[in-house]
Amino acid sequence: MADELYLENIDEFVTDQNRVVTYKWLSYTLGVHVNQAKQMLYDYVERKRKENSGAQLHVTYLVAGNLLQNGHVCHKVAVVREDKLEAMKSKLSTIASVHVYSIQKALLKDSSPLYNTDYDIVKTNLHNCSKFSAIHCDAAVPRMPPDIPRAQTSLQGSSQRENDTGAPSAPAVNGHGPLAAKHPSQQHKGIMGMFAAKAASKPQDTNKETKAEASGVSTASSKPPTKNNIINNFFGKAAMNKLKVNPVPEQPKEEKEVVKPSVAVAEPESPPNPVVEKPGKRTESARIQQKDRKSKTKHVDRSDNEEERDPENTKRKRKRIKQLQSDSSDEEDVPPPPTPEEEKAPSPPPVPALKTELEPTTMEVSAGGRKRKRKRVLKSKMFIDEEEGCMVTEKVYESESCTDSEEEFPKPKPPAAHKQPVLPMKKEPKEERKTLKTGAAPANRANKQVSIMGFFHKK
Amino acid sequence: MFSEQVAPTAQGLLGPPSAEPPTFPRVPVLGYSDCSGPFRPGERSFGRQYAHVYAVRLAGMRPTLEHRARGRWGSDAVLRKLSELQAGEKCCVVGTLFKAMQLQPSILQEISEEHNLVPQPPLPKYIQPSDELILEDELQRIKLEGAIDVQRLVTGTIVAVYGSEQDDGRFLVEDHCFADLPPPLPWNGPTSDRFVLLASGLGLGSGSGEALLSTQLLVDVVTGQLGAEGEQSCAAHISRVILAGNLLSQNTQSRDTINKAKYLTKKTQAASVEAVKMLDEILLQLCTSVPVDVMPGEFDPTNYTLPQQPLHRCMLPLASPYATLHLVTNPYQANLDGVRFLGTSGQNVSDIFKYSSMDDYLEILEWTLLAGHISPTAPDTLGCYPFYKSDPFILTECPHVYFCGNAPCFQSKLLQGAEGQRVLLVTVPDFSTTQTACLVNLRDLTCQPITFSGFGAEDEDGDMEVGH
Repeated sequence: MADELYLENIDEFVTDQNRVVTYKWLSYTLGVHVNQAKQMLYDYVERKRKENSGAQLHVTYLVAGNLLQNGHVCHKVAVVREDKLEAMKSKLSTIASVHVYSIQKALLKDSSPLYNTDYDIVKTNLHNCSKFSAIHCDAAVPRMPPDIPRAQTSLQGSSQRENDTGAPSAPAVNGHGPLAAKHPSQQHKGIMGMFAAKAASKPQDTNKETKAEASGVSTASSKPPTKNNIINNFFGKAAMNKLKVNPVPEQPKEEKEVVKPSVAVAEPESPPNPVVEKPGKRTESARIQQKDRKSKTKHVDRSDNEEERDPENTKRKRKRIKQLQSDSSDEEDVPPPPTPEEEKAPSPPPVPALKTELEPTTMEVSAGGRKRKRKRVLKSKMFIDEEEGCMVTEKVYESESCTDSEEEFPKPKPPAAHKQPVLPMKKEPKEERKTLKTGAAPANRANKQVSIMGFFHKK
Repeated sequence: MFSEQVAPTAQGLLGPPSAEPPTFPRVPVLGYSDCSGPFRPGERSFGRQYAHVYAVRLAGMRPTLEHRARGRWGSDAVLRKLSELQAGEKCCVVGTLFKAMQLQPSILQEISEEHNLVPQPPLPKYIQPSDELILEDELQRIKLEGAIDVQRLVTGTIVAVYGSEQDDGRFLVEDHCFADLPPPLPWNGPTSDRFVLLASGLGLGSGSGEALLSTQLLVDVVTGQLGAEGEQSCAAHISRVILAGNLLSQNTQSRDTINKAKYLTKKTQAASVEAVKMLDEILLQLCTSVPVDVMPGEFDPTNYTLPQQPLHRCMLPLASPYATLHLVTNPYQANLDGVRFLGTSGQNVSDIFKYSSMDDYLEILEWTLLAGHISPTAPDTLGCYPFYKSDPFILTECPHVYFCGNAPCFQSKLLQGAEGQRVLLVTVPDFSTTQTACLVNLRDLTCQPITFSGFGAEDEDGDMEVGH
């Protein structure tokens, strides 16, 4: 019976998971109206106490009412423990409402766990925070980006539309709920434009992979924050490789619209480094995007790296990447990698198409069998930026192997790549990189300085 | 009163879940127009001297004062300028007050090397018995003495004095008057209960969590999550929320970057960043349910001088897409549902408090209304934009609700004027210390405080006696 289900749920939350179950938390978790959640909590308490009077349940109540204070009637809203409930009720001259606020196993010393529970659940449901509330507001509709400047004047028109009955308004506004979820995320403009998180683009993933990455790559040519290096630090080179790929297919359109607003923003920064920008931008947008997607891309990275790397080094790599990423997790949360499998499918096609700038680390991996330590070294790279028509020198952190196989960014093709060449060129870069790698490996070894002792072993 | 008639259903939620629980629609906005235009100076140039502010203030208020003077001392009272004064003649003079205070902090004195003064620590009040009042008009100034309360008045007030000049060059005052209440506005208020919630001093980012639960409770009551059905249906009649300043706490103002060594502060971010994020989340919750007007205050990230400009919407990325969020100036004037609101975040009142013997915020608020000027001490002791065309702080119409934020406690009073004005004066208390907000009923211009509380380890029965 559906009725009994919630009782079991609450029981599980309170007893097994030892949570503080507030009405708000229950409302969001079970997806019910707040009033129903309050009633459910009360019902649970009553039944539990009836069947087992020694049950260890502590309940807090919300009491609201009028109170005479300092000569005027004050409306008081208070959260009280069960033992103080009657005392509070007696202090109020008229009681406006009493209901259960929360249930927990342990006796609470103060109300901060209640606040924390509510805060957490609201934070995870920010975009539909009024969904289960008892009041719905018609006027609370998020605007589309172009409407924002025209803002306030249209508000009166929309708010005049009255809604007399409660029921019809509920589905209407609930409809707004998911809409609202999308719109705010799409409306980051200007400064936030570069970091725009795209909520709606995920479904378009599979269809638009190849095209997407091409367009993404081509359009992404301009905007790079100088945080590239920092971002590169957070993710391993190999990780960045895959990271770049996956966000790209996931945001085909947004790249384009992001391009425009972010052009203005990134203009001052574009001359210096348009190349590593691409990895940077994508890693950045990957970074800024929603957690689940981010974590997925990271899973891909890790999974790809794992499968491609030398099995002996697998464990070492894994550890290192995880460590790197957990280091950076003060900015983003990295959930433990659960399912790399599903990401494997999208990843191979995009990987080769990565052509330019990127990650030579794939090469080093495929070479395999070598003992290597990866180090990050700040190197100066020079290349010709066709777009701007200039030569660009930039310092980039690259991870290098200290024993052999040098990875240097292969001579990058001009960032203004086109869609068509990408597809045919898919295979080329891979071969190119391979050859480059093998060819360059012995030659470049001399230039690397891995440790101070490397000085002396130059020959 | 809020929720008085809902008592019968108060305990309705103490029972097994019922079928579809009702949802109440928020009362729609009947009419809203923002009248804060004068508080947004289009061009901002600080190249002018502040003397122009006083000149336009005097020019703007002179007609009103002359009218009042004639009404009070007879239409045949002689109106003179200071340059036309004759010794011994009873006449009436209109001018600006200047109070010479010894303790008034003066930047020139502080940096003057010959005085070798240590900067004066901030005092709660700067008044002293030796203060003197001087009346200035466009050309001259004269010292005042007599039937005028030196301690009570502050610099910048436009006043009409009646008396005569003495032989020693001082003006002996027999009577004085102010601009009094401005002309009344027609009343178009709603006929059914509608509430506006006034809150100020949320104080986010203070590092202490006591007020956080209360803030959350406030948001929950307004958005209809908290309370039984009766209370929720009453909360649906809250048509607007006005946050009157100090959304951020004073603790976010610390400028470590100035005092500390760079290597210590390089990676730390300003405390206001986190606080603004919290503010954004709270505003998002409110905006999805009710129109909100956000006024900046003393500690908020906007300009310092009055009139403070609205917070920029780029700081509130989550909440700014909503049309229900209005970022407005301080002071703020608007017509809400036919009722004219005018209010500030409290800087004007607290500044007068420092330089006057008046102790009660409500008294000071009333006095500014009677003096016809929102903030007479600007620009003398309170930062202000150097206006030169007109002074927007002059009260030209009498609002229906006049409030100031960040007061130490809640007070309200309904003032009746001689010309039929009805003004509700409200001092909105600082929420972070009192956990109290105000509910103004637009139908009958009454105000009720609403207090929120959680429970703490030390709370026994002390909860109620604390007197919110």
